[in-house]
Amino acid sequence: MAQQQQVERFEQLVLPHLDDAYTLACYLLRDEHDAQDAVQDAVLKALRHFAGFRDGDARAWLLTIVRNSCYSWHKSHRMDRSTVPFSDSAAQGIVDPKAADDLTLESSERERIQSAVDALPPELREVIVLRELNELSYREISEVVGVPMGTVMSRLSRARERLANALDAGSRKAS
Amino acid sequence: MNCSDCLEKLGPFLDSELSAGEAALVEEHLKTCADCAAAHRRIVGTSSQLKAGLMRYQAPDVLKARIRASLVDAPRDVPVRASRSLIWSGWPRTIAAAAVVAVVSSALTLVATRQRPAENRIEAEVLASHIRSLMPGHLTDVASNDQHNVKPWFNGRVNMSPNVPRVDSLGFPLVGGRVDYIDGRNVAAVVYTRRQHVINVFSWPVPTNGDLAPATYSSHGYNLIRANHDGEEVWVVSDLNLSELRDFVRLVVPSP
Repeated sequence: MAQQQQVERFEQLVLPHLDDAYTLACYLLRDEHDAQDAVQDAVLKALRHFAGFRDGDARAWLLTIVRNSCYSWHKSHRMDRSTVPFSDSAAQGIVDPKAADDLTLESSERERIQSAVDALPPELREVIVLRELNELSYREISEVVGVPMGTVMSRLSRARERLANALDAGSRKAS
Repeated sequence: MNCSDCLEKLGPFLDSELSAGEAALVEEHLKTCADCAAAHRRIVGTSSQLKAGLMRYQAPDVLKARIRASLVDAPRDVPVRASRSLIWSGWPRTIAAAAVVAVVSSALTLVATRQRPAENRIEAEVLASHIRSLMPGHLTDVASNDQHNVKPWFNGRVNMSPNVPRVDSLGFPLVGGRVDYIDGRNVAAVVYTRRQHVINVFSWPVPTNGDLAPATYSSHGYNLIRANHDGEEVWVVSDLNLSELRDFVRLVVPSP
C-alpha cells in the first residue's frame, strides 16, 4: 500500500535525525519540555508535507521545520507550563556530597560554555549550533535559516568572536 | 593575500568551505604572518572548545515513543480515494483511549466498591496511579535524566529520600520524578523508560525492617513487582515484559 510505504520511507529518512532535531530545539527554546513538544509538532508537520519532499538532505529539511516550529512555539506557548522547569543553577546550590563530587572542574567549564552560547542572540545561537553541533555545511545552514551564504558566514564569525571574548573573560575570572 | 582578506576567510577555512586554491593561499599567509596565525589559533580554539563542551541532547525515549505512536494515525495529505483507510486508521487510537478509560475506571471501582485485603487494594491503587501517569502531561513533576536533580527534588515532598540509581547505561534511562497519593499518603514515583515502555517505581517507608523476596502480579496487561527492602516498600509497574522488568528490579532494588 502506497501510504504504508510512504510512512516507512519517512521513518527511514527522517526519524534517524531526531537527536539533531531535539538538540537544535533545546538550544532555541532553552527548555526540554518545550523542545519535546516543538519536535513532535515539527515531525508531524514534516509527515504531512512529506509528499512534497523529493530528494535532497532530509536532515536539513527536518531541521528547517524544527526551527520554524520552535519560533512559533516561542510565541504561543510561553505561559502554560504545569511542571517545574528544571534549572541547572537551582540544582547547583544543593549541598549533597555526591552532587558536590560530580561538580568537577570539567562540568563547570561546560557550564561556562553553555551559558556563553545561551547568552547569544537567537540568530547567532542558531548558526553556532547548526555548525558546531549539527555540523551542517554553509549551504545547508543557509537553507535552514533562510538567509544567503554570505550572511551565514558573517553571523558565524560574529558569533565565534563573541564566544571567544566571553570564554576569555571567564577564564581570566576563574584564574 | 593581505591580512584583512585572510582574517575574513579564517572561519570558512576552519569549516572546510574554501576551494582548494583559496585554502592554499590562506595556509601560505598563515606561515608568514604571526598576527593572522594567532587569530587562527584563537578561532580554532573556540570552535574545539564548543564542540567538546556543548551538550548534545538525545531525544528522550518518551519523545520517540510519542512520535512513533502519532505516526500511526496522523492525518496526511493523501488522495481522497484513500479516505476509507484513513477512517479505519483512526480506530486504533479510539480503541486505545477507550481501553485506558475502561482500565482506569475498573481499577478505581475495585478500590472503591470491594472490601479486599490491603495487598490487593494497594496493588489496584498502584496500577491506577501508573495508568494515570501515562495520560498526557501526567508523567513527571520534575523532568531530568540526572539522579542528582531528581533525588533532592523529593525533599520536603515525601517523608523519605527515594533510591534513584543511575541505570541508563544498562538501557533504562531516567526520565524524572513525581509525587503520587497511595494508601493514604504521599509516595515517591521515580520514572524510567525502556524503549517505548514507561516504568514507574513507587516507594514509601514501612514500619517493618525485614526484607521480603519480590512478588509478581499481573493485571490488565501490566506487570507489577513488589519488594520490601531496608524499611521501604517498593512497587515497580510497567507494560514491559516480565523478564526485562525483573532485570530492572534487580538493578534498582538491591536483593536482600
